[in-house]
Amino acid sequence: MKRQKRFEKLEKRPINKDVIVKEWPEEGFVAMKSPNDPEPSIKVDNGIITEMDGKKREDFDLIDMYIANYGINIDNAEKVMATDSTKIAKMLIDPNISHQDVLAYTTAMTPAKGQDVINQLDFGEMIMGAKKMRERRKPANQCHVTNYIDNPVELAADAAEAALRGFAEEETTTAVSRDAPFNALSVLVGSQTGRPGVLHQCSVDESTELQLGMRGLTSYAETISVYGTDRSFTDGDDTPWSKGFLASCYASRGIKMRFTSGSGSEVLMGYPEGKSMLYLEARCILLSKASGVQGLQNGSLSCISIPTAVPNGLREVLGENLLAMMYDLESATGSDQSFSHSSMRRTWRFMGQFIGGTDFICSGFGAEPNPDNTFAGSNEDVYDYDDIHFLSRDYGQSFGIHSIKEEDAINVRRKAAEALQVVFKGLGLPTITDEEVEAAAYADVHEDMPKRDKVADMKAAQNMMDRGITAVDVIKALIDGDFKDVADAILNLQKQKVVGDYLQTSAIFDEDWNVQSAVNESNDYQGPGTGYRIYNDPDEWKKVTDIPQVIDPEHFDM
Amino acid sequence: MADIDEKLVRQIVREVLAQTHIDKPINFQKASTQANNISSSENASGNVHAVPENNVDWFQPLGQAKPGYSKDEIVIAVAPAFATVLTKTESGISHQEALRQVVAGIEEEGLKARIIKVYDTSDVSFLAVEADHLSGSGISIGIQSKGTVIIHQKDQEALNNLELFPEAPVIDAEMFRAIGKNAARYAKGDSPEPVSQPNDQMARPNFQAISAILHIRETHQVISGKSAEEIKVTL
Amino acid sequence: MSDINELVSNILKQVDNSDTASTQYTGTANDSSSAAGKQYGVEDYPLYQKHRDIIKTPSGKSLNDVTLDDIANNRVDRKDLRITADALKMQGDVAGAAGRKTLQMNFDRAAELTKIPDDRLLEMYNALRPYRSTKDELLQIAEELKSKYNANICAAWFEEAAKYYSSRKKLKGDR
Repeated sequence: MKRQKRFEKLEKRPINKDVIVKEWPEEGFVAMKSPNDPEPSIKVDNGIITEMDGKKREDFDLIDMYIANYGINIDNAEKVMATDSTKIAKMLIDPNISHQDVLAYTTAMTPAKGQDVINQLDFGEMIMGAKKMRERRKPANQCHVTNYIDNPVELAADAAEAALRGFAEEETTTAVSRDAPFNALSVLVGSQTGRPGVLHQCSVDESTELQLGMRGLTSYAETISVYGTDRSFTDGDDTPWSKGFLASCYASRGIKMRFTSGSGSEVLMGYPEGKSMLYLEARCILLSKASGVQGLQNGSLSCISIPTAVPNGLREVLGENLLAMMYDLESATGSDQSFSHSSMRRTWRFMGQFIGGTDFICSGFGAEPNPDNTFAGSNEDVYDYDDIHFLSRDYGQSFGIHSIKEEDAINVRRKAAEALQVVFKGLGLPTITDEEVEAAAYADVHEDMPKRDKVADMKAAQNMMDRGITAVDVIKALIDGDFKDVADAILNLQKQKVVGDYLQTSAIFDEDWNVQSAVNESNDYQGPGTGYRIYNDPDEWKKVTDIPQVIDPEHFDM
Repeated sequence: MADIDEKLVRQIVREVLAQTHIDKPINFQKASTQANNISSSENASGNVHAVPENNVDWFQPLGQAKPGYSKDEIVIAVAPAFATVLTKTESGISHQEALRQVVAGIEEEGLKARIIKVYDTSDVSFLAVEADHLSGSGISIGIQSKGTVIIHQKDQEALNNLELFPEAPVIDAEMFRAIGKNAARYAKGDSPEPVSQPNDQMARPNFQAISAILHIRETHQVISGKSAEEIKVTL
Repeated sequence: MSDINELVSNILKQVDNSDTASTQYTGTANDSSSAAGKQYGVEDYPLYQKHRDIIKTPSGKSLNDVTLDDIANNRVDRKDLRITADALKMQGDVAGAAGRKTLQMNFDRAAELTKIPDDRLLEMYNALRPYRSTKDELLQIAEELKSKYNANICAAWFEEAAKYYSSRKKLKGDR
């Protein structure tokens, strides 16, 4: 066929590199409604759920059993299950009904009922639902701090810059898992240099992650993954009971934590049992609720190209975010992993979470250029910072971050690298040279850093664990190296673990260590004129409107 | 009273303490693998979607895989659809070529490779766990049909690893060889620099849905409870 | 011989102190009367601002006695920077008062686990993972939780897991 010129050009557009596929319901390749999804149902006898979503108690798998025993507010369950799903869906966007009144209904839903309510909503209605159901009054954001070679000095500098930009949480992970202790340490020092009170985590396997937390080298944990089918859960090497116990282990050490789930994971692991992604995700959300964790990171996350390959994919993703909020959980809404070649589709990826406002809009935003993001790339990275500031300014909507001055970035990056230098010295770890410190202050990508001896770093990282190094040793090294302010920030972080205020739902700290959570700063949105609005918050509004790119008309001259 | 060597006493105390605190990780994998060997085929149950395996000249089963005792062997575990149902990795490398490169990498370091096909899981970590318990060196490599690779060591938790290569679309022939080489070096007690992986942040949009389709098809071939087969390969 | 005994005992103490990761905590959290009786509510939160006088470290120190100076002079070690069962119960009260019962239940379990050394806690978690333990092994941990740590809620958790792992085939050898 002779090619039509416009069609030929269209074919070469970036969007056409994205892969989309037909629904394949028997393999769970369907976002919101599979013919194999169960109908909502419940039977309660003497306070025990004896039937749920068409299954009798004796046929429950471990996930059903766990949800039935712990996840559902049984007192309201029969009443709520008998309520029409459209009625509950309307409550979500009705300004006359409060956040608390909606929760009385939504925390008593079975997974199939939760799915059914979400199925009643279009994308705009979901945004309105998120406005009301988000836990914390003021939205916040989380970033990824990584680099391709796990360079500790650059990690510290990037962590400091990201903290200064306003991220409330920072997540690192490794290129090589044995580097984990160094990554955790570098981001600890960097984040507290950039802005005291920022929380940070190191995403590695379950046991190591807990050990890092116990030693005070991290301050929260998130990558505690749950899955919606029994087989996938088992392949994830846990059971609901082991995950629930792990949740308590973290709390017993005063460490904030949330679970992680997301649509598409069961399809990718090969065991979706023919159910829709949203139904399986509803089970994950209820599992998390049943475990007594304060929050959940979901929104497909690293499996994002699975739901977005089929129809209603991004509607489903915001739907699962909203469903987590409807079970009274802190919601870290993903909007992170790279999934599209198209700038337009990439932007729309986060519009629901951004305009609705969530506890953590991204989880996280790449605080390094994408090739250095060892989570295999984020949907937003450092080169998008100014786009985001413009969008915040355009829509009068908070993204949880703000513009900073170049000289402030250089200074804070240098200071973080210097602080890490004295910590390495104090702990007897491989030397960080002055040349590395200076490079980190100005670096963008890992190629800008002098090479380190990788094998020596890896050995020292393991040795650091064997020696039992903890945050107390880090604080001592900082005192000895004359970084008292950073030492003080890390000590405050440890003291907050003794008190546990930040174990409550949706908790973050401001720069003066005031906790802001769903207990003392709960979301009071109830229609126009209520709730958090950045254009009514003079300090924050100035930070996103008064930016270096702005022309001052009164003093303007060509 | 002889002089007391404080250093020596200190050392003895530490050793005694170390013995009383000895870690005894619960080694379920070993126990369960053995249990499988006993109950093997009579309890084996497959998936209704499974398709018959093709008979492939270069890839011939030799019966149930056994534990090896030679310290210089690395066991490579391939997944249920490998070679006999699917034929290429996501990077377009044929399964035969992928194995040829890994084995060559191992042999370059003077070690031997033994290949098994695992049937009761399609998960890359658990493939490798099954293999590291059969491996005389305790080091194994797991390879899925789509080309995801892991290097695993016997005493590690299943979901931990020495090196993991999750982005199948970027693993080319050269990387397969380097992975084999590194596995052999771990077996020799070295600490090699990990094989560097191109970090292609656009691999997900390009390949994730395709990965899912390939993995679903691989998982169709899982036969629960079936023991791993020893494989003779002609490369 | 007494010289040697004394030396060994001194070294033992030093080794024990340096080995914080596996040292068993023997503090006084349960003896302090702070959390007993009173129910805390949303108005008591944040405890750091409103009840700093009540919250103590595991060794009974006030938070105001945990300063950089104390750390520099080794008056504080890592064990001082841990949450106590009392503080977790207070946070549980707050969570419950805010309408989050499952979060409160989690804090109740956690309060029981504060006394268990890190290494043992990790082992217990690993024992609960699929195919790791026999039914008896899980029940033995339940017994240990009850008798050694007075952790009755967590013991029931292990017993419940043992029951369901048995009927849903997640015990050692079930794979």
